[in-house]
Amino acid sequence: MTRYLDLYWLFLIQRLKTLMEYRASFILGAASTISLQAASIAAVWVVMQKVPSLNGWSYNEVLMVYGFVTLTKSINHMFADNLWTIGRVYIRTGGFDRFLVRPIDPLFHLLADRFCQDGVGNFVVGIALVIKTSIDLGIEWTLPKALMLIVATISGGVIFIALNLITAVSSFWVIDSVPVTRLVFDNHLFAQYPLTIYPRAISVLLTWVIPYGFASFYPASYLLGREIGNLAWLSPFIAAFLMFIGYRFWQFGLRYYSGTGS
Amino acid sequence: MIHSLNRRASMYGALFAMIPKMFMAYQLWFWAGLVMNIISITILYFFWDAIYANATIISGLTREQTLNYVLLAFFFMPLVSNDLLWEFGSNLREGLMIHHLLRPVNFQAMNYAQQLGGLVTRMAFQLPIMLLAMFLFDMQFPADLNTWVAFLLSALLGFTAMFFFSWLMACMAFYTTEIWGLGVLLEGITIFFSGSLVPLAMMPAWLRGIVLSVPFAQALAVPVGLLAGITPVSDAPRIWLIQLGWIISMWILSNLVFRVAVRKITVQGG
Repeated sequence: MTRYLDLYWLFLIQRLKTLMEYRASFILGAASTISLQAASIAAVWVVMQKVPSLNGWSYNEVLMVYGFVTLTKSINHMFADNLWTIGRVYIRTGGFDRFLVRPIDPLFHLLADRFCQDGVGNFVVGIALVIKTSIDLGIEWTLPKALMLIVATISGGVIFIALNLITAVSSFWVIDSVPVTRLVFDNHLFAQYPLTIYPRAISVLLTWVIPYGFASFYPASYLLGREIGNLAWLSPFIAAFLMFIGYRFWQFGLRYYSGTGS
Repeated sequence: MIHSLNRRASMYGALFAMIPKMFMAYQLWFWAGLVMNIISITILYFFWDAIYANATIISGLTREQTLNYVLLAFFFMPLVSNDLLWEFGSNLREGLMIHHLLRPVNFQAMNYAQQLGGLVTRMAFQLPIMLLAMFLFDMQFPADLNTWVAFLLSALLGFTAMFFFSWLMACMAFYTTEIWGLGVLLEGITIFFSGSLVPLAMMPAWLRGIVLSVPFAQALAVPVGLLAGITPVSDAPRIWLIQLGWIISMWILSNLVFRVAVRKITVQGG
């Protein structure tokens, strides 16, 4: 374990050295995604100036849910972006074979190969939104709530990564796994808003099938003192379970990997 | 013998499997795109549904009008998004810009024709999801012919104004080698300022003033407002005139800026 941590650190340093060679594009990349978040938030702001309640949720409460999903998504973006590019960049080119002959876990190698700076902007926006709305709403940061912020951020991030891993394994068969991943990943958009605005089928889907609800709605509900928020303590178990499935499926997929002949 | 036969079988087997794999990749993109769009319009629908739970009219708009507007705005998004910036970027990166400029056709006119073709294609791809929205969320198109004429002309004028404005923005590619960040930044601005997320009527006056002082809304909020029945058709001539004003000013400005920017051409190999 410590060996892998040390290794990750070395990979990260190398990656940052490369990124610092192109400092302007590093900053642009990290900052640009903020504009997409700003557009959505501005829209919600405009609407909620007119109607102060979204199904019983105030502007700040809605923003906290939005903040959580932005935060947890950024973890995936920073540390596991290669699950998007595995097909195009590694498998199609044959570069993936390199991972198989090295004395470390191929999945670890794939993820450590590229820290993605574009997620940094979303991380900052997400954490800022959660903190800002908690201040505006006068939420008292007790120990369990502070703990929840950390637990939910990590678990939510892992849920994102695990779901992307499960779908990325399809690249061993179809090469470009991006459309398969998008099919599942895009469901996180539902979790930008309180799940209570949707019909029951959608909130069940986002809780028990594609559980992005645990990356935003449930932890936010917990911080807001809503009863349903207690479910949020399940998030580390759900994250661990999905990751277990994802890793087993990855190993299964690896056995089918035959290269593309490039 | 058997061993080598086996090896051959597996090799040719892999080659055989390549084509179905490639075919499947395109199929997958089609279905993924459809599902992504369904998710987006479902969210749009239930978000606005929840907003209207406690209000019958917001800023003079009923629930049906607003829903119709945001759904239609979603489909006509291709009106406001073109890929000129990426086009310029890749032309410059690969050193093709000079070839385009040497051709005996007007470079801007050539690009306009291409972007117009792109618009028609992208609208065609929106058709399946459009039908689904009519079926699932009761989205409605007007039956009145005048509304359609007003909309189509306004959409074409707005798209053209936006083309020249994008041309202006794309000229930035001459000054920077990194356009990805710029592109994403512009995308966020486009999404909000085009009025794709919220009807302009709901914005506070100062914000609407800012939105209408840049051309994004001319290509989306303005024509879609006509189609959704928010703007009366009698306003159409005035709207066309304003859009024409945008086209002329953006056409002049884009050509001036291009002439200056093109001297900055830096060829990154290629």
